[in-house]
Amino acid sequence: MPGLRASPPAFLLLLVLVFPRGSPAAPGAGQELEPGSRSAVAAARVALHYGNFQARSLGGLRALGQVRKATLKNIPESGHKYYLQFSTEDYRTGEDAGNCLATVLYPKKKSPPVVSIKCSHTKDKKEIQEEDNRFYQRIRHQSKPITGNNIPDSYGNIEPALEPVWALAVAGSSSIMWEKSTETLGYFLAQVKSVRQWVRKDDFTEFDYTVLLHEIPTQEIISCHMRLTWLPGHPLKVKHFCASNADEGSGAESGSAAGPSAEKGAKF
Amino acid sequence: MRDQLSLLTMRLPVLLAALVAVAACTETFVGHQVLRVVPQSDEELQKVQELQDLEHLQLDFWLAPRRLGLPVDIHVPFPSLQAVKAHLEAGGVSYSIMIEDVQALLDEEQTEMLRSSRQLPLSTETFNYEAYHTIDEIYNFMDMLVAENPNLVSKLEIGRSTENRPLYVLKFSTGGTNRPAVWIDTGIHSREWVTQASGVWFAKKIVQDHANNEGVASILETMDIFLEIVTNPDGFAFTHTKNRLWRKTRSKHSGSICVGVDPNRNWDAGFGEAGASGNPCTETYHGPYPNSEPEVKSIVDFVKSHGNIKAFVSIHSYSQLLLYPYGYTSAPAPDQQELHEVSAKAVAALSSLYGTKYKYGSIITTIYRASGGTIDWTYNQGIKYSFTFELRDTGRYGFLLPAKQIVPTAQETWLGLKVIMEHARDNLY
Repeated sequence: MPGLRASPPAFLLLLVLVFPRGSPAAPGAGQELEPGSRSAVAAARVALHYGNFQARSLGGLRALGQVRKATLKNIPESGHKYYLQFSTEDYRTGEDAGNCLATVLYPKKKSPPVVSIKCSHTKDKKEIQEEDNRFYQRIRHQSKPITGNNIPDSYGNIEPALEPVWALAVAGSSSIMWEKSTETLGYFLAQVKSVRQWVRKDDFTEFDYTVLLHEIPTQEIISCHMRLTWLPGHPLKVKHFCASNADEGSGAESGSAAGPSAEKGAKF
Repeated sequence: MRDQLSLLTMRLPVLLAALVAVAACTETFVGHQVLRVVPQSDEELQKVQELQDLEHLQLDFWLAPRRLGLPVDIHVPFPSLQAVKAHLEAGGVSYSIMIEDVQALLDEEQTEMLRSSRQLPLSTETFNYEAYHTIDEIYNFMDMLVAENPNLVSKLEIGRSTENRPLYVLKFSTGGTNRPAVWIDTGIHSREWVTQASGVWFAKKIVQDHANNEGVASILETMDIFLEIVTNPDGFAFTHTKNRLWRKTRSKHSGSICVGVDPNRNWDAGFGEAGASGNPCTETYHGPYPNSEPEVKSIVDFVKSHGNIKAFVSIHSYSQLLLYPYGYTSAPAPDQQELHEVSAKAVAALSSLYGTKYKYGSIITTIYRASGGTIDWTYNQGIKYSFTFELRDTGRYGFLLPAKQIVPTAQETWLGLKVIMEHARDNLY
C-alpha cells in the first residue's frame, strides 16, 4: 500500500527549488554546489595546499579525497567565498586521513586566496611528530649534502632515500600553489626537477629546489625555484621564484591570423 | 675581476631572464658545467670563497671550499660561466672542467640505465605490460601481435607525422566488409604515458578475449576495432629523449620559434574559439588552421573514408573522468541524455574492479571549455558514441604515474570501454 510520504525525487525537487542552481549567487545568500563540481573540487584543493603548507609537518601531508558538501557565497566588495567539507587521504599511503572543514575566499583583486581550514586526524599528533623526526633524521644523517633530479622519475619512481626530500618538496610547493591559485587557475606538483641541500651549522635543514607545476586549464608546466628551510615543529620557510611564460617566444610574432583576436587563453 | 662582477650585477636582470628563458624552454642543465678548483694558497682559497657569497650567480658547490689542497667542485649555470671563469683566471686560480655539459651527462646516464635494463621480448607473451616502453618497443610489439594473429590483427599506416614517423593503427577484424567499427586512440598527448601503455595492454586483451571466446569476442562477431596506440609519435619520442612533460606535436609553423600544436585543439569543431590558444608558445595552441597537424589529418581522412565508425574513444590522462561532447559550447549535445546514461554505466563498471572513483559529464561542465577537440568533431560527423577518458590519477603522481599502476589502470578502463562498445553494438544506427 503506497505511503503518503513525499517520494525522494519529489523532495529533491523541492530542494532544487529552494536552492536554485545555475543562477548567480545573490549577495548574502549561499548557493549549494554539486560536491563533485569542478569549482568545488578546485577550491578544496586550494584549501589543502594551504593546509599542507601551514601544517609544518611532512607526516601529516594530505591529498584530496572527496568533496562532501560545498556552498558558494558572493561577498560584495570581497569576492567569492566557498564553504567546503571534504575527506582527505594520507599523501604517501593513500589511507583515509580524516575530514576537513574549510573556507576559501578568492579576492576580487589579485592576491592569494584567503583560507581557513580545520581537519580531523586519523593519525594522532604523536605519530605525526615521530614520522617528522624520522624524516628529519634521515636527512641529517647523510654523509654528504643531498642532491637529486627528476623526482619522481619518468617512470613514476621515487628512490626511497629521496622520499623525505620529496615530501619536503610537496609541503614547500604547496605554498607556491596556494599563492598562485585563483578561481580559474589551479595547480598540481608535476615533478621535482632538481634538489640540492645547503649545509647549515644550525639544526635547520635547507634545500634549493626546482619544481615543475602543472597549471590547469592552460596545461602549462611552470618552473619554480624554491629555497626552503625546515625543522620539525617549526614553520616551513619558503622563498620562491617562478618563471613566467611570457618569456617564451617573446619577440617572435605569431604567424596565426586566424580568428578575430590574436590570443585567446583557455578559459571558462 | 671586481669590475667583471659588478658588470655582472648590472646585467643581472638580463641574465636572470636568460636563465628563466632557458629553464622555461628546455631542460634545466643545458650548458651548465662543473668546474674543479684545488686551492694551493690562502689567496686562491679566498678567491673561491668569494664566489660563494655571490648568490645571483646561482652557483652550487658539489664540494664546498674547506682547506688547501682539497678539491672544490662548482656547478655553474650557463649564464654565469663567463663571469666565474674570468674571476678565477684574473685571480690566477687554475681550474679544470670536470663536466662539460651537465644535461648531456644526465641524458646519457638515463639512456644507459634504460638500455641495460631492456631485453627485446620474443613474443607478446614475454612482453612486459607492467613497464613503460619506447616507440621502437611498441612498434615491435605491434608487429609481433600481427605476426602471431594474422587472421585477426592487421597493421595500417594511416599517415606520417611531422618528423616522418609512421602513424600505425591496428585493425582487429573477424571478417566482413567495412563492418561498423569502434575507434580507440591513446597517446595523442605524448606526456600521458599511462595511455599508450594501456593501449598496448588493450591490444593484447582483444587478442586474448578472441582466443578464449569471451569478453569482446562477441563484439568482434559484428564489429571491427581500430586502435591507434601511439597517436603522437614525435611528441612521444621527445618525452623519452628531451622533455618528459611534452604534450603537443613537434611541428614548426612559420613566424614562431616555438614548436608544437595541441592535437586536441586542432580539430574542426569550434576551431580557434575560446578554449584554445592562438599563441604558438602555449600548450593549448590550436595551430594555424584545422587539421594542420598530420597526426590529426590522418585520423580525419581515415574516419571520413571508412564512413562506418559507430563509437570513437580518445584516451587521455590524468583526472579520472569520462567525458562526452561538447567542449567548445555549453549547448548540450542532442544525445546528451543517452551519453550521460552510458557514461554512468561505464564508470560503474570501471569502478567495480578497484574502487577507482571517476566523475563524468560533458567536457565543458566537467573539466573546462576546450575548442577544436577530437570528440566534438567526431560527434558532429555523426559518430554518436564519442567519448574521452581521463585515466589515473587525480594529481598525486599526475603524468608520472608509477609503472605498477599501468595494468590495474588498463584493466579497469577496459571494463568501461566494453560498456561503450557493447552499447554501440546493441544500438547501431
